Amino acid sequence: MTTVRPADQSADRSADRSADRRDGTRDERSAGRCPAPESSVGRRPAPESSAGRHPAPAPDAPTSAGNWDDGLIARRARPDRPPRAGGVGSTPEARNAPPPRPETLPRPPAAPVPHPGAAVLRPRLDALRELVGLSRARLDRRTLAEAGRVLDEAVARQRHPLDLTVVAIAGASGSGKSTLFNALGRAQLSEAGVRRPTTAAPVACVWTEEPERADGVLDRLGIPARSRRQPVRPYDPALNGLVLLDLPDHDSATPGHREQVDRLLGLVDAVIWVVDPEKYADAVLHERYLRPLAGYAEVSFIVLNQVDRLGTDAADQVLDDLRRLLDDDGIALGEHGEPGAEVLALSALTGDGVGELREMLGKFTASRGAALRRLTADVDGVSARLRCAYVADGRPGLTESARHEFEDRLAEAVGAQAAGLAAERAWLRDAGRACGTPWMRARRWYVRGRAARKAAGAAGAAADGAAGTRTGSAAGSDTGVGTNAVAGAAASAAAGAGTGAGTGAAPKAGAAVPATVPATVPAPMPAPVSAATGAAAGAPAAPPSRAVSRPLVEQAVRALAYEASAGLPDPWALAVREAARRGAEGLAEALDAASAAAAAAMAGAGALGRPGMWRTGARRASAWCTGVGRPAGPPTAGGSSPGRAGGRTGGWIVGGRRARGDGTAARPFRPGWWAVAAAVQWVLSALQAVAAAWLLGVLTGSWDGDWWVPGPLLAGGVAGGPALAWCCRAMARGPARRYGLETERRLRNAAAGCGRERVLEPVAAELLRYQEVRAQYVIAAGEA
Amino acid sequence: MATLEVRPRLLDALSALRDRVDAARFPLPLPGAARARRNRAELLAQLDDYLVPRLCAPEAPLLAVVGGSTGAGKSTLVNSLVGRRVTEAGVLRPTTRTPVLVCHPDDHHWFAGQRVLPELGRVWVPAQDVTTLYDTDPEGRRGEEDDAAEPPSLRIETDRAMPPGLALVDAPDIDSLVARNRELAAELICAADIWVLVTTSTRYADAVPWHLMRTAKEYDVTLVTVLDRVPHQVATEVSRHYGALLAAAGLGDVPRFTIPELPESAGGGTGLLPDTAVAGLRGWLHQRAQDPAARAVASARTVAGLLASLGSRLPGLAGAAAVQHAAAVRLMQRVEDAYGRAAERVRSGVAAGEALAGDALTHWHGHPDDSTSDELLGALTASLAALVGCAVAAADEEVAAACTGDPAADAVLAPRDPDGAIGRIGVAVRRWRRCLEEVAEEELRAAEKGAGLDADRTAALLAAALLGGRPARTAGESLAELLGAQGALRLRDRGGQLLTECLDGVLDAERDRRTAPLEALDVTPDHQVELIAALSVLQRER
Repeated sequence: MTTVRPADQSADRSADRSADRRDGTRDERSAGRCPAPESSVGRRPAPESSAGRHPAPAPDAPTSAGNWDDGLIARRARPDRPPRAGGVGSTPEARNAPPPRPETLPRPPAAPVPHPGAAVLRPRLDALRELVGLSRARLDRRTLAEAGRVLDEAVARQRHPLDLTVVAIAGASGSGKSTLFNALGRAQLSEAGVRRPTTAAPVACVWTEEPERADGVLDRLGIPARSRRQPVRPYDPALNGLVLLDLPDHDSATPGHREQVDRLLGLVDAVIWVVDPEKYADAVLHERYLRPLAGYAEVSFIVLNQVDRLGTDAADQVLDDLRRLLDDDGIALGEHGEPGAEVLALSALTGDGVGELREMLGKFTASRGAALRRLTADVDGVSARLRCAYVADGRPGLTESARHEFEDRLAEAVGAQAAGLAAERAWLRDAGRACGTPWMRARRWYVRGRAARKAAGAAGAAADGAAGTRTGSAAGSDTGVGTNAVAGAAASAAAGAGTGAGTGAAPKAGAAVPATVPATVPAPMPAPVSAATGAAAGAPAAPPSRAVSRPLVEQAVRALAYEASAGLPDPWALAVREAARRGAEGLAEALDAASAAAAAAMAGAGALGRPGMWRTGARRASAWCTGVGRPAGPPTAGGSSPGRAGGRTGGWIVGGRRARGDGTAARPFRPGWWAVAAAVQWVLSALQAVAAAWLLGVLTGSWDGDWWVPGPLLAGGVAGGPALAWCCRAMARGPARRYGLETERRLRNAAAGCGRERVLEPVAAELLRYQEVRAQYVIAAGEA
Repeated sequence: MATLEVRPRLLDALSALRDRVDAARFPLPLPGAARARRNRAELLAQLDDYLVPRLCAPEAPLLAVVGGSTGAGKSTLVNSLVGRRVTEAGVLRPTTRTPVLVCHPDDHHWFAGQRVLPELGRVWVPAQDVTTLYDTDPEGRRGEEDDAAEPPSLRIETDRAMPPGLALVDAPDIDSLVARNRELAAELICAADIWVLVTTSTRYADAVPWHLMRTAKEYDVTLVTVLDRVPHQVATEVSRHYGALLAAAGLGDVPRFTIPELPESAGGGTGLLPDTAVAGLRGWLHQRAQDPAARAVASARTVAGLLASLGSRLPGLAGAAAVQHAAAVRLMQRVEDAYGRAAERVRSGVAAGEALAGDALTHWHGHPDDSTSDELLGALTASLAALVGCAVAAADEEVAAACTGDPAADAVLAPRDPDGAIGRIGVAVRRWRRCLEEVAEEELRAAEKGAGLDADRTAALLAAALLGGRPARTAGESLAELLGAQGALRLRDRGGQLLTECLDGVLDAERDRRTAPLEALDVTPDHQVELIAALSVLQRER
């Protein structure tokens, strides 16, 4: 069958062309001889009636080239329309009784197969609809209006038969549109005159079997019934399914023409642009119509009319120039078999070249894909215009480095590094104190007492004026515990963040040496009562602590938001930043709480424990963490163990062990060797005392013996103490560092966890939403 | 009113007006700015090309410009009027690229200089047939890009067939695809005493030529219209229809000539229309040129019309200048408000002690034993820098949010520069720290008990006292202990002053950086006032 087809169509074409060349009237006759074409050819919605009318397909009739009575045209005839046997002439076609059958056109594809374009277009339309739905919350209505319109148009067009091809003839005033329209319809369908402008309302001509088929489409175009024409019957079967429109011009001064043209150009499937040698380079045509519609090149024909006014070379020159201008406009020209717009020259008045156009139209109509192609071009256009609203530059997203930077900044805001440093130093100081010689201890005790007496008055006044913060309560509790050196230091440390219970701060100022010797002074006895009462009274009214640097937190969130939204289209970038901002609203307070919790965990149980328990250095560190992080525990009133060296010693041993026992932290605060070192110190000092006494006895003669026994002993004892202390301090550096790093790490993790939960996750969720939308856009744009 | 004599006061008023219009600028990209710029350019061109020369030398020859749409037959018409081919007419469009001016040899000196159309260069060609000049093959036309690079020029031809006192110009198409041609055509038409508008039987109802006709009516210039390339068969009908359209538009009294389409004017023949076809137009033009009274009327009418039209165009320009100024003021206000709020925020933050948080707070707690003064001071400085940086970033965000819909904002304000801002703030705050340390040292030296006191410590305590707010009150007390109450007070005052200066300086610098381009544009309300003043002076002189 296929071998027969090409011969069929070439025969048909050559016959047609020869007919054209001969005479217009001959065309009429040959057209008259051909009955109306088969209506159900190649169309899916074939009405059953027509199927009933056309029973089994007839076998292929052999064809002879150039013979009009080849089966193709005859076969397309409808049986109920009797052939015009008595028609003009006695050519053989008249004798052929057309066997009725559904016949596929010689063109591709086979009849019931839907156009391949539909399968590609449907998912794109669906994706576009999905896209519009997902973006309603983000994009404004105007941007989505065009997409909505395209979707509506697609739905509306697909309601009407898709195998109808609606072609409009458009052009400037006086270019010969109506003349061409009449030439194609072979009848005087539209008025072509000399007064300008001529066509004021569009006229339609329908090449279908039943004119009612095209009624839906014509109603949609807004063409009244009186403007609907039909070509002379029987008409050219090749143009079956064609609906041709003659539009008004687009550049006359008469109002309303341009609006009509614009409206109709949005509704038709294909356009024939008619230009003439005088106006083919008009700016209005190119800038207003051809350039914006360059995407519809596949459904455009550009025709240079009135070539009878030019000579042949001039015509060629002008045609070349026209092609050049179209190229500049960005319209793909369908040369060498590539898809694109067809450009040809003709003269509607003399009919020169009209046959070629008719043939092209026939091919175009027969492919039945004009509507789909136009809709595809619509979707292409709208996705190209929406590109900037959906496609980001680069690869947006939260990179690992951005996350790390965010966590780093949060850690900085919480003060993790300083906390680690302070903890390390506190540890070292404790080590020094614990392993120091007893003489140092005595000296410390003496200094503390003096400073406490000096600060008594000021402390009292300050404590009275203390605003009740929990640090005040901590001070109260600490002082209530007693003249505990470290407790006092804790009070001073805590009060540093608090208010005027800066009794501790005053002694701090008193000690001018920023050395490892702590100048800590417990608040004097009378003060604690007032302080305690003041603190107790004030504790309930304590404002929440603000130890986290708000500006740094804000900067961290801002930097993250900008990093995450860099390159995104504006609406999505705004959404990401908004998500970050919302998440950051309670972030600072949450960071405060988290850092306090981390510090408490660091300090073991975190409770202040029994009164009288020695606050070790670690506990002091935890106390200030606690002080900054959350309200301290209830002030422990009650007895305080007097700070005695011995009590202290025992206390720290006891407290240390107890601390070890209490501590739920991961590490013991007091390594055992400190106790050993302290014991050795005591032994050494005892040795010193004995040796001194011995030496004294020897020197004064009340003792018998040589000086060289106690002497070295004394020297050794004196030298050994500091040496041991120095060794212990050196050995404690490692653990101190580890402890400091551990503190820093905990704080850092706490801050990072907070930030992750509140900010990073919402931002990641927004970015994921954007990715989904983008995937839909890719499908809609046909790039999938 | 014959204005054949020179009127110096009018000329002065006109030059003053021209200077004002030249000085008016519309730099902000507001919606009406592009049109205002175009109007200004047109007005300047008209003043320079036509009004001032005409008023300076009323006896100069009349300039008639033949203008029309693509393919209307202007070049053919000019050739036919002159009697030989002075300009190329072809089938490919657009045709005329370099406009041609044809005049009598005696009048050559009037047009050789830059008196009329000073923007266009002059090109002289000896009197010969012009076809040898042009390449007839299409490849020569591809040199469009080179044309665009050269400045536009005017080719001057002389011919004895032209009457003295008249010059003809063949202009490019007014609706050409090439934008440069369109502008050139508009400029030439605005420089003419007599407008000869050519249209054809297919174009006579087109929108673009009618626009030009309406403009001619508005400016009340001397207008002649020619209906060209009319096929014989329909000549009377089309002509009558055209006349009806003209009458409907209020141009019924405009002289109208009809020229048929003849094969000689097409490619094959001599390219000239026969004398009979153009006789009417030629006669009219010659009469205008030679009769002094008619000449005076022709030129005076155009001059008067243009002067009258200034009365409506100038207020438009002045309005556009006022809009620019208002927009500039608005933008400036927004930026200043935002930065004012930022300054307020910083001040309240410092007073409340927000700088004492995070690292700084930890160091403050551990101050004498656990943390060195250097660390404390460094942490406080960094914290202050973060506070200021945060305020500046917040101000930038506010400005961006307030200017979302404003196209001028992006173009005119300096872009945000968060990293640069951080750097600059850091520099300023570090400088403040150094000053603080110096001041502390000075006070220590001045105080009697200087022994054993640490300048570092003093500086750290001073910084804590200034930035710590209430939580760091003890710092103040410590200072008082160190230096005595008087000394401490003095020190705190000086430190506070330094801090205020530093903060104000930083915020002002950031604000000025953002508004620097706007200030550089110098959009003042003077332009509008001056324009209107110049216009009223001119109206008085008229």
